[in-house]
Amino acid sequence: MLGCAAEIDDHLNRGRNMDTRTSRACILDAGQARVTLGAARLRNRSYVGTPNEDPLACGRAPADVPHSPVIDDPAELAAFTRWDSVAGERCIAESSLRIAGMHCAACAATIEQVLKQVSGVLDASVSAAAQCATVRWDAGLTRPSAFVRAIEAAGYEAVPDTAAAARALRRTESRSALWRLFVAAFCAMQIMMLATPAYLSGPGDLAPDHKRLLDWGSWLLTLPVLWFSAAPFFAGAWRAIRQRRIGMDVPVAIGIGVAFVASSGAAFDPGGVFGADVWFDSLAMFVSFLLGGRYLEMRARHRAEVSLEEATACLPQTVVRLMSDGTVEVVNAKRLRIGDLVRVPVGQAFAADGVLAEGATEADESLLTGESRPVEKRCGDAVAAGSLNLQSPVLMRVDRAGPDTRYEAIVALMRAARSQRPAVLASADRWAAPFLWSVLLLAGAAGAAWGLIDPSRAVWVVVSVLIVTCPCALSLAAPSALLAAAGTMGRRGLLLRRLDAIQGLAKLQTLFVDKTGTLTEGSLRCVKTQRRDFSDAATTDESLQGIAASLAAWSSHPLAAALRDGFKAADMAWHDVHEIPGQGLEAVGTEGHRWRLGARLWVGARSTADADGAQTFLGRDGRVLARFEFDERLRDDAVAAVRALQADGVRVCLLSGDDARRTQRIAATLGLASSAGGMTPDTKLAAVRSAQGRGEIVAMLGDGINDAPVLAQADVSFAMGEGALVARSQADGVLVSNRLSDLVRARALAKKTMRVISQNFAWAAVYNAACVPLALVGWLPPWAAGFGMAASSLFVVLNSLRLAGPLTSKPERALQARVGAWTSSTC
Amino acid sequence: MDILYLLIPLSAVLVLAILGVFAWALNAGQFDDLEQHAEQILAADEAAFDRHQAP
Repeated sequence: MLGCAAEIDDHLNRGRNMDTRTSRACILDAGQARVTLGAARLRNRSYVGTPNEDPLACGRAPADVPHSPVIDDPAELAAFTRWDSVAGERCIAESSLRIAGMHCAACAATIEQVLKQVSGVLDASVSAAAQCATVRWDAGLTRPSAFVRAIEAAGYEAVPDTAAAARALRRTESRSALWRLFVAAFCAMQIMMLATPAYLSGPGDLAPDHKRLLDWGSWLLTLPVLWFSAAPFFAGAWRAIRQRRIGMDVPVAIGIGVAFVASSGAAFDPGGVFGADVWFDSLAMFVSFLLGGRYLEMRARHRAEVSLEEATACLPQTVVRLMSDGTVEVVNAKRLRIGDLVRVPVGQAFAADGVLAEGATEADESLLTGESRPVEKRCGDAVAAGSLNLQSPVLMRVDRAGPDTRYEAIVALMRAARSQRPAVLASADRWAAPFLWSVLLLAGAAGAAWGLIDPSRAVWVVVSVLIVTCPCALSLAAPSALLAAAGTMGRRGLLLRRLDAIQGLAKLQTLFVDKTGTLTEGSLRCVKTQRRDFSDAATTDESLQGIAASLAAWSSHPLAAALRDGFKAADMAWHDVHEIPGQGLEAVGTEGHRWRLGARLWVGARSTADADGAQTFLGRDGRVLARFEFDERLRDDAVAAVRALQADGVRVCLLSGDDARRTQRIAATLGLASSAGGMTPDTKLAAVRSAQGRGEIVAMLGDGINDAPVLAQADVSFAMGEGALVARSQADGVLVSNRLSDLVRARALAKKTMRVISQNFAWAAVYNAACVPLALVGWLPPWAAGFGMAASSLFVVLNSLRLAGPLTSKPERALQARVGAWTSSTC
Repeated sequence: MDILYLLIPLSAVLVLAILGVFAWALNAGQFDDLEQHAEQILAADEAAFDRHQAP
């Protein structure tokens, strides 16, 4: 770490300590201490705007560079800037930026010129293909905000590129893998051509000197394959041997090495100990098959990384915040706090979870739910961070920001799922070492036996055995299927935290479900309209419902939302609309009547004996006209999903903390045989344990937070993906779409996955059982062994890929982005 | 068939030359993004549209 970066750290620490000291009084426990620290750090960041405290100044502050606190923030800078050598007092930094709006190499040259004209920029290079720029700048003379403004003035957009380092690493890796693969495959083709005469000619057709010429040519072309393309196998084998363990690379490296030594001997000394047969063609083909498999695997890994990066990059960097005095300011999205009012333009993603405070729009929530259709959002509706505002500019009030948002939780979940190893793989690892040792022993024994029977064939039998047993297919059997299935489930609304959950889901016998928030939605539904005033024969239930719905559109109260959603609003014009907190809505209608919608006494009712559920009243000029009763709303697909699971042989059982009567009613609607109301977390736990005691595989589907101990006890557990609960739930999987039918579909896929895994294992076992004896008795030449090995791996991978559903193609996504950009440019 | 003594070494040299050309293309970044140019028809269209329609 160089001087200036260390200074920044020191500065941050100083600020942090000071802030914690002053706020010590309100720290209650460890958890809150962390929150306080975070807040202190946020406050600390805003110091950067004042010149005296600026850690970047390196002794002297730049005279005429105005500060933009967002991008010049040291904490922000660290993510996309590398500190370079310090020459005397000068701090040289190198920043990576992503450029938007660039279409060709000419644009790149323009941006480069513009950047170099900014004083303090030492060097700039812009890549049109990668849409990014690297800028070297002097921290004593300029700030990133200065050259970002220069780029914007030239008509392009620039944002900090935090993923630059990872992308550069990926590019190097992918280039070197492609290079090795090309060398191996191209040389293998040429060697095959040189080897063909030896295969096709009859005895005596090929002159010995021509044969030797062809062999030498093959030998020459094998050298790059061996020394360059096969280097990773030798390096891997050497690493494994040095660590005194055995890996898949060991038999492969021995096989390649033995084949090369024996073939070289045969090529240069045809009458010697190695006989006259050469297998340069088999060797090169084997190496290119293996590298081809690894290349495909690497591509899949990179794609997963890119999609994760794209997901993390979709939150806006800056947002427009409305202050209480009516002014606006542009702030870093990371500095949003609960209660902030944020203006969201069309085409921008919501930066935090919150509710719409003004305006109505449509949002694209596909990142969160997998649902690609836009969702209608009205005033008072909840919007989630990471979803895209599609239709009109709106104002939102922040409910949750930063790591508490559902979006951050989902990104963390995706990271966790990628980095863990399922139990199936762990058991495969246990078997790998004994398997590889027995392969080596078998090859050694076969070589010894053939040395006695027919020394000229001993070497190629050893090579065949080593190549044919290459356990690629076995090691791919389970992970390829599990990963393909998890990817498909993710796109269909079920995100898995543990890949093991697929096995549990397939074997599931009893499913316990929670009621509130799981089978029912968080929102309410109007179930009953009761007319109270029959003096006016012209009014009907429907007309009153319409009036109520039309008035309810002015409020964001949950009961008003239920009326609005439940009934078709009458076409009425309202004026003088007031919302009185705790009472309801009051407005003057077209004919001058004063209408009220809200609490019983406030509307004008006298009697107090009524139903137990939530209710609201509609009154005109102090007379109650109607009473609306509300109940929880079953999810749209709850009945269908429960029926489908029951048809599939799963016993579905309702466990609820709600009172027994209501639980019973829901259970009857769903056609459930068993239900239990009034449960506490302890009795729920006992119910799950007793089912497990009967030897059943038990799954629990809950809302994720009240059911935490039960979720942990069940063999496999799922949580609904509503709100911030995702972040804290410890379930194996999260139903981010909140659609119960997705669980049914996921179970069908899980069952298919288990079938595919057993097919893969069966195929790998049959292949080894059939080919090893053939190789041992000398009926399998090395080229056939290499071909068989590649074919078996390919079979396993293709079989697993049947589980990967259709992907959204890239052009389709590009088209969606284009539509978004178009709407924003016309507004 | 003496021509083989010339042709086979020549083919080996040719292979090495082709590998060299591929190495140059690879390091010049020609294989880094194989999809971008296919999709440019969408992106370029959008840029032209913006220039005329944006207020």
